[in-house]
Amino acid sequence: MASLTPTVGGSRARRAAVPFSQSPASGTLAGVLTSIAAGICLLLVVLMLLFLLWYTWPAIRYNGLSILSDITWNIGNQYGTGSSIHNGVAAEPGAEFGGLVFLVGTLLSALLAMVFAVPLALGVALTIVYRLPERLRLPTNALIELMAGIPSVVYGLWGTIVLVPWVGNHVAPFVTHHFGFIPFLGGDAGSGNGLFAAAIVLAIMVMPIMVATVRDVLLAQPKSIYEASMALGSTSWQAVTHAVLPSVRTGIVGAILVAFGRALGETMAVLMVAGNAINILPQNIFSPINTIAAVVVSQLESAVSDASGVAQRSLAELALVLFVISLAVNTIARVAIRGQDRSH
Amino acid sequence: MIPTMSPVDMREERAEKLIVQNVDVFYGQFHAMKKASLGVAEHCVMALIGPSGCGKSTFLRALNRMHDLTPGARVEGEVLLDGENIYAPEVDPVSIRHRIGMVFQRPNPFPKTVFENVVYGPRIHGEKRREYLLEVAERSLRSAALWDEVKDRLDRPALQLSGGQQQRLCIARCLAVDPEVILMDEPASALDPIATSKIEDLIEDLKREYTVVIVTHSMQQAARISDHTTFFLSGELIESGTTSDIFTKPKDKRTEDYITGRYG
Ligand SMILES: Nc1ncnc2c1ncn2[C@@H]1O[C@H](COP(=O)(O)OP(=O)(O)OP(=O)(O)O)[C@@H](O)[C@H]1O
Ligand SMILES: [Mg+2]
Repeated sequence: MASLTPTVGGSRARRAAVPFSQSPASGTLAGVLTSIAAGICLLLVVLMLLFLLWYTWPAIRYNGLSILSDITWNIGNQYGTGSSIHNGVAAEPGAEFGGLVFLVGTLLSALLAMVFAVPLALGVALTIVYRLPERLRLPTNALIELMAGIPSVVYGLWGTIVLVPWVGNHVAPFVTHHFGFIPFLGGDAGSGNGLFAAAIVLAIMVMPIMVATVRDVLLAQPKSIYEASMALGSTSWQAVTHAVLPSVRTGIVGAILVAFGRALGETMAVLMVAGNAINILPQNIFSPINTIAAVVVSQLESAVSDASGVAQRSLAELALVLFVISLAVNTIARVAIRGQDRSH
Repeated sequence: MIPTMSPVDMREERAEKLIVQNVDVFYGQFHAMKKASLGVAEHCVMALIGPSGCGKSTFLRALNRMHDLTPGARVEGEVLLDGENIYAPEVDPVSIRHRIGMVFQRPNPFPKTVFENVVYGPRIHGEKRREYLLEVAERSLRSAALWDEVKDRLDRPALQLSGGQQQRLCIARCLAVDPEVILMDEPASALDPIATSKIEDLIEDLKREYTVVIVTHSMQQAARISDHTTFFLSGELIESGTTSDIFTKPKDKRTEDYITGRYG
């Protein structure tokens, strides 16, 4: 997982990182350099998009909408004769590239991760800002940075060795047995690999960035909001729910979206615990799933052997879909956080 | 400087609303207030004066248990509200802050509408009846001398009001909880002279129903609005007395030096 610094260096750093902002520094050398750097970043994003579009174009024509709506992923019979042709693009006979399973897996695992992570991250960030003595702040912040620096594969290993057996042996049987009447909680308990384990791992992995972003949003809000509420005889809980959180609503939404964006794109750890589902949609929260990022990695080797190249390009097309979703989520998140900053 | 006095009969006996006994405040290791003792008479205005950093805010915040909210801060000693120690273990600080309201140095309205700001207190205390809330809002805003200026824009964001209006809104918000004592920490220091004089007039009115303790940087202001004055210096309560005594015949040399302008 990447370092926290580019996204959550506090509101000041965040402002400086905004491309083309009309900050007071615009005229200075530093301002010019910042603008150039930001411009280069933007250019790279656009180039990357264009490249992906150009590269995946045959796949886009071959797949049409089925990349988003079909559940069958089949690179076709490489030893068969003839070929399967759609829209003038030829692939191996029987090749079908439906990405729905991966799209659903990506969205569901990231969403469920948010369900786990949001309340926890809000609680931790509120504690840091309103409860922690000054001298514990620095070590806590350092710890959060540290958590963000743990390589993804370590989380994946922990997930495989500890989490998955625990889910498979205890959580899933218990939940499906006792709460099976609730939609999406009943049915096959599975092995432990699946949506639930993936969401937990993702939740843990996005915690640092979410805590850090919410913390910065709260710190940017004057502490006087909390004090004003307390001085009116509210409880601490009421102060948080009636005054503090409502006044930073957009900032919190932004923080959640930043974390959601991260969760969407996380690859390694999810690949290790998600169960590698293919051609089947999840039946409950313990079902094996697959995500776009994970499937790109796990299917790449077989896709490369596709002489027509459409399999590879279809994987790239999935990556493009993920890219566009992430870009949209991140843009909305930035706008939300900046809007919050400005409102103070 | 010989300040003019407010025409209050100082000999009149009044019950002590608040009695502060040997209060110490610590921020971690730092001893910010040392053994302060003081009585605040009911329906009077008590001014707290002293140079910057002497502990006026520290003392004030000890009176409604605001230090509970500062990690690392600790209060020792007793503060009696109608004879009852607000620091007694069985006392709920929330109910104390309900009875002892506070207005801060910088206006700090919530980013909500004017109306929602005023009725914030009643709302969190469970009041839902719209009629009642409207009534409370009007009464509080009138008491805070703000009603005429905002009655047509109760549904506008409070942050669109001027600084002086925001501060009066904060006073109205405080009054809506119907406290017995109002603590004010330099409520006019961020305001221009006209807004300041409005707040001062308001404080004169407030003491009819409430007991007011106000921190002020300005000795003229203390002289104009207070019945009693207490002088602090470097974390110590030096002297307390009627405002006229403090300003005309201070007992302590340090008080005299301060009011004659020999400290910053
Ligand atoms: N939260 C805190 N942590 C540590 N020290 C503090 C804290 N708040 C205040 N102090 C210190 O306590 C002393 C008294 O501060 P206080 O704010 O009570 O002074 P004041 O008389 O209100 O000053 P001013 O007129 O500038 O508002 C100061 O030395 C200040 O630095
Ligand atoms: Mg102060």
